Amino acid sequence: MPPWADFEPFIVSGLALGGVYALSGVGLVVLYRATGVLYLAFGAVGALGALTAWSLAQASAPGWLTWLACIAVSAAVTLGYGTLFGPALAKRDPLVKAVATIGLTLILYGLMDLLWTTSGGQARSLTLPTDNSGFTIGQITVTDTQVIALAAGVVLTVATAAFLRFTQLGTAMRAMANDREITATLGVPVRRVEAAAWLGCGALSGIAGLLLADLVALDATTLTFLVISSLAAVLIARLRSIALTFAAALVVGLLHDLLTPVVSLSNYRDMTPFVIAAIGLLVLSRHRVMVQSREGA
Amino acid sequence: MRRLNGLRLSDLTRPRILVTTFLLLFVLLVLPQLMSLYYVDTMTQVAVYSMVALGLGVLVGRVGLVSLGQAAVLAIGAWVAARLLFATSQPYLLVLLEAGLATMAVGIIIGLPALRLRGLYLALITLMLAGGITVVLATVNFPNGGHGFLGYDGGLLHIPPIRRPSFAASDPAYFRFAVIIAIAMFGLVLAHIKTRPGRAWAAIRQSEPAALAAGINTWLYKLWAFALASFITGVAGGVLAGAIHYLYSINFPTQDSITLLAVVLMGGAYSLWGAVVAGLLYQFLPSLLNNWGVSADWLTILFGIGVLQVLTTAPAGLADQVPRDLARLARRLRGGGRSKQAAKDTPAPERVP
Amino acid sequence: MKRRRARRAHGAAVLAAALTLIGAGAAAGCSSISNSGTGTGATSAGATTPAGSASSSAAGAATVDTSQCGSKPGVKATGTPIALGAIATNQPGTSFTDIPNMAKAYFDCVNANGGVNGHPIKYYIATEQTNPAQVAADAKQLVQSDHVLGIVGSTSIIECSVNSGYWQKMGYYVIDSGIAPECYSTPNSAAVNMGPRYSSDGAVQYALAQGVSKVVFDQANVPGTGYIAAGPAALAKDKNVPIVQLTENVPITDANSVAIKEVNDAGPGGAVILNFTPPEALIILQAAQKLGLENRVKMWGCSTPCNTDFLATSLGSKWNGKLFVNAELTPPDGTNTTAMNLYKAILKQYGSSVQGGIGSFSQMGFTEAEIAVHALESINGDYTVQSVNAAFKAVKDFDTGMLCQAWTYGDYPLHIPNNSDYTVTPKDGKMTTAQGCTPISAVDPQIAQYRGAAGTAANVQ
Repeated sequence: MPPWADFEPFIVSGLALGGVYALSGVGLVVLYRATGVLYLAFGAVGALGALTAWSLAQASAPGWLTWLACIAVSAAVTLGYGTLFGPALAKRDPLVKAVATIGLTLILYGLMDLLWTTSGGQARSLTLPTDNSGFTIGQITVTDTQVIALAAGVVLTVATAAFLRFTQLGTAMRAMANDREITATLGVPVRRVEAAAWLGCGALSGIAGLLLADLVALDATTLTFLVISSLAAVLIARLRSIALTFAAALVVGLLHDLLTPVVSLSNYRDMTPFVIAAIGLLVLSRHRVMVQSREGA
Repeated sequence: MRRLNGLRLSDLTRPRILVTTFLLLFVLLVLPQLMSLYYVDTMTQVAVYSMVALGLGVLVGRVGLVSLGQAAVLAIGAWVAARLLFATSQPYLLVLLEAGLATMAVGIIIGLPALRLRGLYLALITLMLAGGITVVLATVNFPNGGHGFLGYDGGLLHIPPIRRPSFAASDPAYFRFAVIIAIAMFGLVLAHIKTRPGRAWAAIRQSEPAALAAGINTWLYKLWAFALASFITGVAGGVLAGAIHYLYSINFPTQDSITLLAVVLMGGAYSLWGAVVAGLLYQFLPSLLNNWGVSADWLTILFGIGVLQVLTTAPAGLADQVPRDLARLARRLRGGGRSKQAAKDTPAPERVP
Repeated sequence: MKRRRARRAHGAAVLAAALTLIGAGAAAGCSSISNSGTGTGATSAGATTPAGSASSSAAGAATVDTSQCGSKPGVKATGTPIALGAIATNQPGTSFTDIPNMAKAYFDCVNANGGVNGHPIKYYIATEQTNPAQVAADAKQLVQSDHVLGIVGSTSIIECSVNSGYWQKMGYYVIDSGIAPECYSTPNSAAVNMGPRYSSDGAVQYALAQGVSKVVFDQANVPGTGYIAAGPAALAKDKNVPIVQLTENVPITDANSVAIKEVNDAGPGGAVILNFTPPEALIILQAAQKLGLENRVKMWGCSTPCNTDFLATSLGSKWNGKLFVNAELTPPDGTNTTAMNLYKAILKQYGSSVQGGIGSFSQMGFTEAEIAVHALESINGDYTVQSVNAAFKAVKDFDTGMLCQAWTYGDYPLHIPNNSDYTVTPKDGKMTTAQGCTPISAVDPQIAQYRGAAGTAANVQ
């Protein structure tokens, strides 16, 4: 086992990675609570927005405009999907709804590779102005972007929990995610609430996409399938608790990086999210058969 | 005489059996002569992935369990087969059987705890397990003739190819071999469907509580389905190893499992022909487009559209929809007076889980 | 009933749309590179007039008439075509199509200027997505359906491994840009580049020459890592410098831990040498910079894929004098030779499908095509598989103008004809030469074996 000093820098980088997973994970759970759909296209939509921002930056557009465009594109695509396919699938199993978002993921993935082709020697990268400022912990520099990502996760956790619980719109969203038809009979304007939920979630995936493109890589494949690793935290929280998702994501990130200096396990550290998710789920379900309830709360 | 939805069984199945037999004979005997080697190689891949789609179809279509990890299962089967083929000189068919059994054992071990979960959770945990297996494979790699348990020598200057059976060394011969194995696997599934497991699965898919109430051991039959799907996919892995001669961990990424689900849904998870359609979508179409110089991305987009279309409008997939659409067209051409026949068509189950 | 009908109609409509999509794509694709015709892409400016030179001027270089590429300037070749083929990887994240596309540009130029003894070259490019079945099938397609006489310009992660037996059986001597071990270790493949192992050797060799106390060699976990690692291991052992071998799964999702691990293992007097594709190398280096680690080791090194101006620009001036990249080919900037100017001119006039522009990929394509045409022109008599491949094998001491040394195929059990390299370093957004042509050390056993077989061991250390 390496000495303790070797582990120190990995605690910092592990928390940063945890922030990355938390951003995706919390986003997924928030979407699930608000729409009843496990939005597996979260990463792909964010990547689409980030690549749009990159293209605009190449055309010398000002930074704020590119970020706005990223969020707008993600929101538009998500709203479009929700409006077109939300009602048709509303009565189906959550599994069917999740598989349908896989369809959207594939469409976007193919589209992104067509529009932003891979050319042999080039590499795209997205930088945010907060990359250049930061502070030092020990021997490692932490950029402000990483801090923002973690903070965004925290804000998201607290704000959406409060929103869903205490506001009228939030309550309407939860009710709709639970049972759309009964909510409609109660006089809630389902289409408008639905549209608001999808729009909000789309904007969220745009913001996450921007941050992830900066923190991880501006690559369609990486960003689209990052959602798979983020599912670990989501599964441990059983798609219910946003706070638990956030905490689990931090733990997964920390553990992943802390395994880096351990030579015998280092090559296997990419397994961390999967192993933790599998163990967590199986331990949690050992006393009962788990069926996802239809209520989002 | 057994009746099925008002029709006598013989009316329905005799022409079908004839057509199927004719098609299979054509594929086995005539097709390799007609195609260039490029397409012979492609169709061998179609045979392999038809088997994988068959396994996934049993899970998704017959029992209602979605697995997002079949590419990893295929990799395990290929790994075991490659290790045995390098380490021993056993006959190829024996190696296939062993690969199938080993993969079945892994499938059972995974199924034992995993089947406590249902629906979305089960699908996601299969995705997690597949992700984990993919990482392990990336580190231990596929056997390439080296020594030791893993059989991998990273420093080889010249990797030996995985051997083929002596009676199927050439590409057209191996294609026929792959098709025959596929026919055997389809037969295995057919045997299951026509007997007790098939009926139990149908009951479970209809309503699991009702099946439980009727005294069916749902957990056992679900595990059986897992075992069967794993066995078939393991055998497919063995066939794949001989087909392509060289195995790399980068050929089994986690996203392949997602694409596999997409093509199985599009082809039709319930019907056996659907598995063949899925194999064609997954291997033949890309090969065709590659030959024409069209980017494979168009196919990815098509699969995405296909998944959405299947889930919203045609849950039984193309294999069910296209013949019925064609039959409808034929009836329209013959005249509307015979439209009463349409009401007697055997409808495939509408619901995919 | 109505709803079912509507559903079916909807389904049929989507199916029809999908088929139209494929049909349109196929129609568009039919005129694409896989059936590249003869002389397409030649504009009217390809004539012998000085107008041709105006369209081919590169920044700072003397203007060159592209018609120099052929033997009869301005005369379109109209004889029976000579078919050549290539297999290149093209998948999301990895695309080597620039290399055969540049070769095609060269062939187009030759076809517009007299061809090979009057014969135009017909070039088939097959792409693949790292699927062994597909790679094997592509080879059979090229040989048995397209009837290519020679393979020039192949660049693929696994093609040499999968097809080396086939090429040997069919009698093809392939000219390629190698990646897999078999591109360098079999008799039927000779590469214009050095490939990951010898390019990494070059980077490690430079670091060792700077007197580093430890080497950390980190590479992408793609096929061949053991083979690649053996070269740097031998070099480090010879100088009694400890070496740490690492691999990373790509695409990398957590560059921070990778950078920290590399820096920790190397220590203040050590060197970190990377062997990754440009996007992965870029995010590792950027992560190191964001973490403030770039000065924590003595130097950073990289194999040839890092040799792009794009990387230099993305990294910025903080990396001036810190990163030393192995360059397998003569740096285009600042070189004013005939061959380099012709390369830039052909790229500009015929290379519209080469997305990366000036860089090592297009240079490789140019060089391979140059060698092929040179060999083909030496054939008297019929163009057959035997004559073409005999001519390829007979290429000896050909000065391509793009490499450190003259290029030879020869009848050897293995081929590493490009075994001397430059070292470049980023400076204010461009890659500049840090060290001129240096032979790769014969401490690498494969290099020693090749030099012995080729008879060049006496000339080089």
